Amino acid sequence: MSVAESESVLLLAEHTGEEGGSRLKLAFRQLRRNPVAVIGAALILLFVAVAILAPLLAPYSPTHGDLSNITVSHVPGPSSKHWLGLDLQGRDELSRIIYGARASLLIGVVSLTLGATLGMLLGALAGGFGGWVDSIIMRLMDIMLAVPGLLFAIAVAALLGPSLRSVMTAIAVVNVPVFARLLRASMLGQRESDYVLAARSLGVKRRKIIIGHVLPNSLAPVIVQGTLALATAIIDAAGLAFLGLGSADPSVPEWGRMLTDTQQYLRTAPQLALFPGAAILLSVLGFNLLGDALREALDPKLRR
Amino acid sequence: MRSNKLLALALGGLLVAAAACGGSSNGSSNNNGNGKTGGTLVFGTSADPVSMDGAYVSDGESLRVVDQIFETLVTTKAGGTDPEPKLAESYTPSADGKVWTFKLRKNVKFHDGTPFNAAAVCFNFDRWYNFKGIQQSPSVSYYWSTVFGGFKNTTNADVPKTSLYASCQASDDSTAVVNLTSPSASFIPGLAVPAFSIASPDALTKYNADKVSGTGDSPKFDGTFGTQHPVGTGPFKLESFTPGDKLVLARNDDYWGSKAKLDKVIFKPIAKGTDRRQALESGDIQGYDFVDPADVDALKSGFKVMQRPAFNVGYVGFNQKMAPLNNLKIRQAIAHALNRDALVKAKYPPGAQVAKEFMPPQLFGYAADVTDYDYNVDTAKQLIKDSGVAAKDLTLTFWYPTDVSRPYMPDPKANWEAFKSDLEAVGFKIIAKSAPWRPDYNQKVNNGAAQMYLLGWTGDFGDPDNFVGTFFRTSQPAWGFNNPEIFSALEGARTESDLGKRTSDYQAANKLIMDFLPGVPYVHTQPSLAFNKNVNGYVPSPVSLESFATVTVG
Repeated sequence: MSVAESESVLLLAEHTGEEGGSRLKLAFRQLRRNPVAVIGAALILLFVAVAILAPLLAPYSPTHGDLSNITVSHVPGPSSKHWLGLDLQGRDELSRIIYGARASLLIGVVSLTLGATLGMLLGALAGGFGGWVDSIIMRLMDIMLAVPGLLFAIAVAALLGPSLRSVMTAIAVVNVPVFARLLRASMLGQRESDYVLAARSLGVKRRKIIIGHVLPNSLAPVIVQGTLALATAIIDAAGLAFLGLGSADPSVPEWGRMLTDTQQYLRTAPQLALFPGAAILLSVLGFNLLGDALREALDPKLRR
Repeated sequence: MRSNKLLALALGGLLVAAAACGGSSNGSSNNNGNGKTGGTLVFGTSADPVSMDGAYVSDGESLRVVDQIFETLVTTKAGGTDPEPKLAESYTPSADGKVWTFKLRKNVKFHDGTPFNAAAVCFNFDRWYNFKGIQQSPSVSYYWSTVFGGFKNTTNADVPKTSLYASCQASDDSTAVVNLTSPSASFIPGLAVPAFSIASPDALTKYNADKVSGTGDSPKFDGTFGTQHPVGTGPFKLESFTPGDKLVLARNDDYWGSKAKLDKVIFKPIAKGTDRRQALESGDIQGYDFVDPADVDALKSGFKVMQRPAFNVGYVGFNQKMAPLNNLKIRQAIAHALNRDALVKAKYPPGAQVAKEFMPPQLFGYAADVTDYDYNVDTAKQLIKDSGVAAKDLTLTFWYPTDVSRPYMPDPKANWEAFKSDLEAVGFKIIAKSAPWRPDYNQKVNNGAAQMYLLGWTGDFGDPDNFVGTFFRTSQPAWGFNNPEIFSALEGARTESDLGKRTSDYQAANKLIMDFLPGVPYVHTQPSLAFNKNVNGYVPSPVSLESFATVTVG
């Protein structure tokens, strides 16, 4: 996340103020009228539906193929039986793309949940307590942020060895400092606002103010970040798989790995790079469109 | 903004595909049309030579260069594996097979003008035998330890203590007598490997060939003999070597035999197969080695694609220390489950054939009538049932190497995926394991850490001992079995001196091996080279001993 971006999120956090719940409603209404958001949401819905319903949608097995029509210089392209053609192992490419959505969604959701939970916990501690707790946690986060995200993920995944679990862990770890810093900044903004001052002068306990008022009102930027982070997670997962750090079993369909596998055969079967590339593009596009629209809706300064 | 970067990354995938569609033009190269003699050939190799001192190398790229500059006492017939005299005009064994008399070619000179004679031959043999410290490491003097075993004072734990070599005498200027400690049928074919090239004793001393530092696994050659001053008797001599850029050889005009036709040969290292192909298409090079399987058919229209006779084997190895692979019925079930024909047809270039045993059909001792395990899912399932192994114990940890492409497995992962699918179809559960080829994968397999694994072997010289002998003559952790019957059959065949008897001995041993089924051999391939259409006279050899002296351009 760039500095400018985190500042805008910070500003946005400062402005959410007392409106709370009604603001979200307002934002949702605005989102529905925004075609960009609708397209984004539709893409996400498609992606999630394909991932969940993969066994019903996939016309063939994603892991068992028939080599009889494959040679080193010819891989059958799209046909009426196989809409996206066959892959290098004689498996149905469409079925593999469909099952690949599963891996992507699973990695995205699990790594995001893990990373965001841990990050928010640390952010809430830092923002809530302040003082030396804040200093220690945030310096630690700064150190983690100093290493470029994907590079950090590669290091973690390489350390843990190739498996889906280590990919999830790697991406989660990368997400922790992002969420920690975001929530803390947002909470710091809220702490200075009038309603907190009012609550404090009424004698409400500090802990109750933080948990009951500051925290819920600080979540808006986190939601935006969450949507965007899912997109990053899908890209990172594809990147890690591309580098051979995905699942240990190479026959498990993963979009990133499918791209790697076709490298040697770009000349004979370029379509095999096109399809997983398009799948990654569309799913990431969905999350990005929705994320941008959400940011717009939740930030009064960006509202037209 | 981050989100834009993400989009760009995703688009990258599409662009890669688009770039592939673009392709590259089939540029015809305009060579200097110098006719049949003269001219320069630029040849694309996969890497620089490690050293040009034959005694220190075992990789193909080094041996290729060494083979142009140096010569051995014995060589193989062009395009074959049978030994024939080279620097020796003849060689005869004593009755007990322990004393070999080499009659040497006369009037042969090294590139530095010093004479080639019996003293030079013995100097080289004694040099190898007296290797010390790092020089003894199998990664430095691999072929010496393969053919001769140990050294005068063997200090390296990975090398046999005893040596086949005893001594060498120059009984006159053109007669060298080599004494062995025991008879060995692989001595003469072994000598054809360019690692046993005869180098100029003067140059070896002058350019400090024996100065080696570093470690056994990554030796550092401090002398300049192997990098700048390799002096042999061959048809070419080194003109210049710029690592990473090019290695230039010039014709040796004082060569004793028929002189090289080309003025110069330039070896250009280009690591990737696709890059070599593009260099050929754009005219930067006029030929290259190791054509990617996917490119063979595409190149055939505009270029000359040559194939080496199959002299390798790709196999699935079993470690019998790890159940259930100790169960013969399970091993047989696996052999019947693997659809080897489909894999070889789909994933290998034309010319590859399904392997029935652990050595190629061209080699003597190959048995046509070994037990054949045809692809049959029902037989496999029945064998599993008969094996008595419980369904829950049918889990196999199956290894494949990454970052490697070998003629017998151009894409190991693809083979692995096909076999995994086959094995799952008959009821096995497969656990995937992988490691980078060098050094992790080889170490893990050789130390016996892998239960089932993909591996293969390319023959070094034309002797069955170099195939089945290296695998099964002794107990090895990679295979994890102890079968004295097979061990003694192979040892007996190795020391037998009568060729007819050796042939039938090896045939019998091959049958024993395939009944015992220590692994499943599945492919012999023919590695491919590509040349411009105007390049002639290159003779592909099963053991890659290919001289550029007969090559012409234009």
